Amino acid sequence: MRRASNVIFPALCGVCALLACALLVGLVFVIAQRGVPALSWTFFTDQMRQVGSAGGIFYNLLGTLILIAAALVISAPIATGLALTQAVYLRSASARSRLGLFLYTLNGIPSIVFGIFGFIVFVKFFGWGKSWLIGGILLALMILPTVTVSLIERIRALPRKYIEAATGLGLRQSQIIWSVILPQSWSGLITGSLLGLARAAGETAPIMFTATIFAGASLPHGIRESPVLSLPYHIFILAQDSFDPGVGAKLWGSALVLLMLVFALSMIALPFRLRLHDEAHA
Amino acid sequence: MMKLMHKEAESHDTTASADATFRVRNLNVTARGKTLLRDVNVSIAPRQVFGIIGPSGAGKSTFLRCLNRLTDLTPEIRVSGDVRFEGTSVRDPSVDPDALRARIGFLFQQPVVFPKSIIENVLFGVRRLRRLSRGVLAEVAERALREAALWNEVRDRLNDSALALSVGQQQRLCLARALASEPEAILMDEPTSALDPKSTQAIEELILKLKERHTIVLVTHNIGQARRVTDWLACICVRNGAGTVAETACCDALLENPQCQEVVEYLGSGSSLP
Repeated sequence: MRRASNVIFPALCGVCALLACALLVGLVFVIAQRGVPALSWTFFTDQMRQVGSAGGIFYNLLGTLILIAAALVISAPIATGLALTQAVYLRSASARSRLGLFLYTLNGIPSIVFGIFGFIVFVKFFGWGKSWLIGGILLALMILPTVTVSLIERIRALPRKYIEAATGLGLRQSQIIWSVILPQSWSGLITGSLLGLARAAGETAPIMFTATIFAGASLPHGIRESPVLSLPYHIFILAQDSFDPGVGAKLWGSALVLLMLVFALSMIALPFRLRLHDEAHA
Repeated sequence: MMKLMHKEAESHDTTASADATFRVRNLNVTARGKTLLRDVNVSIAPRQVFGIIGPSGAGKSTFLRCLNRLTDLTPEIRVSGDVRFEGTSVRDPSVDPDALRARIGFLFQQPVVFPKSIIENVLFGVRRLRRLSRGVLAEVAERALREAALWNEVRDRLNDSALALSVGQQQRLCLARALASEPEAILMDEPTSALDPKSTQAIEELILKLKERHTIVLVTHNIGQARRVTDWLACICVRNGAGTVAETACCDALLENPQCQEVVEYLGSGSSLP
């Protein structure tokens, strides 16, 4: 009986693992199979033509990169402040756990709610119209919990001896933060940002009412009424039109590019995560 | 003769407190309802090596950390009583703990070097505590490294990573880092317990040289080391569940003719062999 369970349970686990891997491989295979024929040099360098059935995705890719970069720049200082509050300044355990709960709640807010929130506050109330900056702010809010938690873990993993040694030298807390804590934990910020962005880059809901349009935008020229094109929204619109075979090819090509972008973000984060892992076991 | 020296020890303890570098009166330390140190009274005269011995877990390190308020880093630790450094209470509200720690060097059991270059490690504290020009900083680094007897070994590779140094060199680098900001006193928490005999000897020679200008408080497990470098000794033992100073005397008197039963037992146990 015991021997049977020793065989059956690992086998079941293996089947689950295989299923998950097969899903991923199948998904990538289908997208690659249909998307690769659309890929060419001009697909990346040319702008969209004929309502998406011809041309490339230059401004869509550029728009998504702008949104990502804005989210990165906006979230980094906020996450740093939050993480320092949580891991350094707050001394009471209950206050720390309340802030932790806040971060997890923020992480659970559906992306469409962020979209509506941004629409009401920025587009309507501040009267910005659709703008790349609103998209950047909303994506920054969405990745904020991931970035902050990753940074907090990195700060917590910092050996206590460094803080003690710096304190023993007579350095102030602010000096210790700048000279010891942040230099040794910034990789947590990078990891969290990349992993957060790998999810947020593909989101359509937060940007569709606030930051992106389907056609007629190139480089942003300011903040008000300054939307960008973007990959997820491009895919969303083309998918509604995909009975046209020309559109279909472009749709799969765009999906493949978005997938590669997201993979790239995860891959860049990998060495930083491995480094954290190594140090934790050093 | 020994009796006489003990008498001297007691009179030293009371009369020297006026010009003592550290004067500790009725120090009590608790953490989460447990008493770690009870009623500790010690006076540490300037420019001498004051050794602290005693069994593991008796609170020697905790005592040392009370002297420069490193205990502040542990929120659950409560300290009461009077600890004075150069006549000023270290817990007086007007005292800035960071400024206090800048005047008191601290050497840990394991050398703590930052993952930076040798020169950056030496100047880690001093360049943030004082505004000094590049030229002066270079002089400070050389002086500190010479004082820590490390200059000749690292002068050609000041910009190399400090992590590449041996553990013994790293501990001397930590000493240089503390010396760079010219502290009046240096607290050492078993500074040689992680080192090989040769590095230990180097540190002991440094301690003897440094006491010409600094007051040194040395926690050690090594009775031989206590005999070699300390002038005065306090033995912290556990009494009624909390650490307290069982006996204070000049080094030879305490080691050769301990008066207190706990000290006799501690010195008699295997760990105390030189």
